Amino acid sequence: MKRTKVFLSLFLMLFLVALPSLGQADTTLKYWLWLDDPTDTTVSELVDKFNSLHPEIRVVIENVPLKDYHDQLAIALSAGVGPDAARFKDWWLGEFREADLLEPLSSYIGEWPAKDDVIPNLWNMGKIPGEEEIYMMPHQFITFYLYYRKDWFTEAGLNSPATFEEFLTAAKTFTDPGNNRYGFGLRGGDGGQDQWLAFMVAGGARVVDEEGNIVINSPKAVDVNQWYIDLYSKYKVVPPSAPTDAYAQVTGAFQAGITAMMAHHVGSSVLMVEKLGDKVGVCPIPAADPKNPATMITMSGNVVFSPSQAKEEAFKFISWLTEPEQMDKWSRSRNGQLPVLNSVARMDHYINNEFFRVSMEGADYAIGWPPLPGVGYVSSHVWQVNMQRALLGEITSQEMLDEIARALKER
Amino acid sequence: MTMVQSQKERYIPLFLLAPAILLMLLIVAYPVVQSIRLSFFDISLLMPARAKFVGFRNYVEMLHSETFYRALLNSIVWIIGCVSTQFVVGMLGALLLKCKFKGNGIIRGLTLIPWATSSVLVALMWTWMLDGNYGVINDLLKRVGIIDSYIPWLAQPNTALGGVMIANIWQGAPFFAVMLLAAMQNVSEELYEAAYIDGANSWKQFWYITIPSIMPTIIITTMLRLIWTANYMDLILVMTGGGPGYSSTTLPLLSYLTAYKRLRVGEASAIAVFQTVFLMVVLSFYLRLLQGQSKEE
Repeated sequence: MKRTKVFLSLFLMLFLVALPSLGQADTTLKYWLWLDDPTDTTVSELVDKFNSLHPEIRVVIENVPLKDYHDQLAIALSAGVGPDAARFKDWWLGEFREADLLEPLSSYIGEWPAKDDVIPNLWNMGKIPGEEEIYMMPHQFITFYLYYRKDWFTEAGLNSPATFEEFLTAAKTFTDPGNNRYGFGLRGGDGGQDQWLAFMVAGGARVVDEEGNIVINSPKAVDVNQWYIDLYSKYKVVPPSAPTDAYAQVTGAFQAGITAMMAHHVGSSVLMVEKLGDKVGVCPIPAADPKNPATMITMSGNVVFSPSQAKEEAFKFISWLTEPEQMDKWSRSRNGQLPVLNSVARMDHYINNEFFRVSMEGADYAIGWPPLPGVGYVSSHVWQVNMQRALLGEITSQEMLDEIARALKER
Repeated sequence: MTMVQSQKERYIPLFLLAPAILLMLLIVAYPVVQSIRLSFFDISLLMPARAKFVGFRNYVEMLHSETFYRALLNSIVWIIGCVSTQFVVGMLGALLLKCKFKGNGIIRGLTLIPWATSSVLVALMWTWMLDGNYGVINDLLKRVGIIDSYIPWLAQPNTALGGVMIANIWQGAPFFAVMLLAAMQNVSEELYEAAYIDGANSWKQFWYITIPSIMPTIIITTMLRLIWTANYMDLILVMTGGGPGYSSTTLPLLSYLTAYKRLRVGEASAIAVFQTVFLMVVLSFYLRLLQGQSKEE
């Protein structure tokens, strides 16, 4: 009797220990991402849905702030504890590809049924020059545009600026330091490199030429950069805090009525409308030559890391995220950007939305960072330090661009 | 037998301390040795397998870098400025808190709030207070007529480091106040009474009784603060990120940026090793100076 009791107790214990694993998935997938608005639950809802549709896979998400994303990812992968798949920027492709950390995706994409729905030229943003292989699955993209205070412009009898000249005239009109008012919210601090690149390419400068040579320190680029620096140092049409202003400061100043214009993308449009209603207007980034408009484009896609033991499952998840229903849900959320699928982009919700419309128009002539190994370092550090030094007059426009060119070449 | 026993007794403490020593070796000695080793390699954080031995090249490059000297100078200003001001403010605070008045206990408790507040919170709080567009400090200064227009404290090279130092002083001064107060409370009242009878005024009592009596506490707290402040970069990282330009970059921050932004671990280790040696030299000099002084007294 006693023996039976002991046996039954042991059996029960064993059953209880084994119980949690009975309902578990075969593969656990680690997925990293950043969210501009971490309070938005859309991604968690999508992941829950994927997990319920695919009981053999359990996706676990980790949200890392964009500011530290590149560094944390590099450390985790280097320590062998990185994710299987991750949200990724085109900025980092060259660097991570050089370190052999990215899984080639072309063969997986070939069998993915929705591949023809992706806006064709966006595939190129997941490639390395000289290679046919796709390393990043397109997911969301942004093009930079200009927010402006429609009510102020109407009051001053001005139209939204289409050229550099009109932009500067408007900025001067609204600048009144005594009343803490400025024409434009220049972002010299963290993350300001995209805004800067939008103005650089709109001014006619390029990071690389058609042959792939680095030309960011060409005489043309030096001139455009000098014009950008002068907004702070010569024309003084931006807040004095501009050298260190990051997203929070630039957005806060625009919403508080301190600045009349700021450059950003559709990702902040919901917030802008919430705060300013119909006082906020949107227009393309002004161009030096209106016949040759340009703006900055950046893609956030998804990658699978080569050390992953669950590459097929990882692709299954990232491709599922890119399918129309999920794409539409993500794009409409507070973290939403431009959808990469034609079928979604043609929906009324996007066509009738002014912010989406201006962004999509910009995609026709937008230019991104080239996938060079040094872009990650430039975007996370070099640009900011040298932009600030140039704004403060410690170095010249030429010296700033020489530093960036040097870092882009660094391997 | 006695000799064998005494030898055994000699080894017992070692045996008992062995786990602690092993633990120390593991968590202190290993990273130190590893840092020194890495400083002789050209190694990228993304490609650790492709590390290459380069001898003293990282040190030579560091000593030829203009940014390094800027960071060294900033570090010296940061350490001396923060610790000395914290000491003076802490001493004044301790003397105030030593006085008997109503609500003294509550005030003593409240004094510790800045010290107990997390660094990131302190940094964010001061960043917004010093903000150049709508910071409360600018607003107050403008209302009382000290400034005409808002000053971007953290965006100007000549005020950025100072702005972060103010936050650090606010956070660190309570530590000095509490430690010095505790030491002052242990000084015998009889000494003050005797000095008073001999005609010593408050200043003389402070200088000839209080200071010598609390000197050991001053030495140890200042030394601890020197080490902590020298290695402390949380506030700078959050408030300015070392900018604008390199105007608030200190050595530990430069090492961090080199390792985690540029991903060059070898060069970052060389900076860290230099800082450790530099700090050891400064501290040994400081200890000798103060110990020599207290012996003379």
